[in-house]
Amino acid sequence: MEFLKILVPVAGTEADEEAMELACRLAKQKNGGKIVALHVISIGRSLPLDAEVEPEISKAEDILAHVESIAREHGCQIETDLLQARDVAPAIVDEAIEREVDLILLGVGYKTRYGEFCLSEVVPHVLQNAPCRVILYQQRTV
Amino acid sequence: MKVIIMGCGRVGAQLATLLDREGHSVTTLDNDAYSFRRLPPDFKGEALLGNGLDEEALKKAGIEEADAFVAVTQGDNRNVMAAQIAKHIFNVPKVVCRIYDPLRRDLYSLLGLETISPTTVFAQLLKEKLEG
Amino acid sequence: MYIIVIGGGRLGYYLTRALLDEGHEVLLIEKSAPICQAITGEMGSVCLRGDGCETTTLASAGTGRADMLIAVTGDDEDNLVACQVAKYKFKVPRTIARIRNPKNETIFKKLGIDVTVSSTSIILEHIEHEVPSHPLMHLLTIREKGLEIVDVKIPPGSTNIGKTIKQLSLPAESILSLIIRQERKPTVPKADTILQAGDQVIAVTPPESEDALRSALIGD
Repeated sequence: MEFLKILVPVAGTEADEEAMELACRLAKQKNGGKIVALHVISIGRSLPLDAEVEPEISKAEDILAHVESIAREHGCQIETDLLQARDVAPAIVDEAIEREVDLILLGVGYKTRYGEFCLSEVVPHVLQNAPCRVILYQQRTV
Repeated sequence: MKVIIMGCGRVGAQLATLLDREGHSVTTLDNDAYSFRRLPPDFKGEALLGNGLDEEALKKAGIEEADAFVAVTQGDNRNVMAAQIAKHIFNVPKVVCRIYDPLRRDLYSLLGLETISPTTVFAQLLKEKLEG
Repeated sequence: MYIIVIGGGRLGYYLTRALLDEGHEVLLIEKSAPICQAITGEMGSVCLRGDGCETTTLASAGTGRADMLIAVTGDDEDNLVACQVAKYKFKVPRTIARIRNPKNETIFKKLGIDVTVSSTSIILEHIEHEVPSHPLMHLLTIREKGLEIVDVKIPPGSTNIGKTIKQLSLPAESILSLIIRQERKPTVPKADTILQAGDQVIAVTPPESEDALRSALIGD
């Protein structure tokens, strides 16, 4: 199975790097394969959606610059996108629809909450609403 | 003193009983007649079935002559609304209102209601017990 | 405008949709998780799960920058508290509460709520308009000034027919502003204007003088 355009949402966590590397390998299987790295800044309701949120914006730019350099090392074509949204998951789905990607590669870390394993709430929404195939990459377990 | 107690739960019934034994004129108001089972058989006050947010029910309970009004139903918002009606519409001299939510209690204290938050009071009591 | 709607029942749902269509930024606050999910699925990120009477919920809703808060849950007391918290804690400039019991209208007003909407009162008003024999119809309420604009029809048998306006003992605070005759010609009433059967008199009056105005106009 080959993918021409892969959307990789990045959150600035450890999972980003391995997810990007996997995305690069998948993208290179296809001639002209390309990666879109997306970071979504979640804006609380106390601010308008188009608020200028520093330092979040510069932090987001650093995250995207970092994953861009990973792709370049692998000789992969990459575009980056920075969005502001109320909720992260619907923004990922919308971006996948708009960019007409054929895969969303979602990297997640192993998280616990209240002493129990906890799945990020982004994951079920993306799995349920994605317009394309989805690979869920969990970085490691404990 | 003529006192109207809205809400005949454990606290409401207990308060009604205490005041009644001291010779005050007590009227309890509840929208469920089953609640009045909590009043003792020798209760000399009045127990009225009715909605404490309704002006007519309050008038029937004698709010126009009342010296004090206490709102202790299960709902914070019901208590807040009834207390405000008693204070601002019927000008009852003494109005006290239970609000479980401490944040809402703070706001309504600022707005001039006399309020008690059992949550805050009880947590404080427990803390003192633990430290004592 | 940023508008917060409390209560995701049928009214809250359609209100949210309509306000979004008008281009406003809208947030619906609803207690029930399944309702929130359904609304988010349909309209996007416009729903917050929580109790709209709680300060913490309203804080995370960014109520401090809201231009308006509309409370439309099924319980009058919840709508009252949501509006009061919004108004006094978060300084929301305009608060609107839905009320079930029309008697609460005056209470809510006294407790600082800017606007109340009662479906019972609205339906009653419509019935007033539909019943042609009704002697006095409310056309408009000017809330800030405490005035009503009303429409009084002079019935065919009235003892006032043939009398001039100055012969009527009208309450001092009420002013007759327009008379609409049967041939649909509106005239501005003067002291010597003679009343005719079927005249429609449009008057401005404080609500407490309404009864006096009606009996003065209709006669015996």
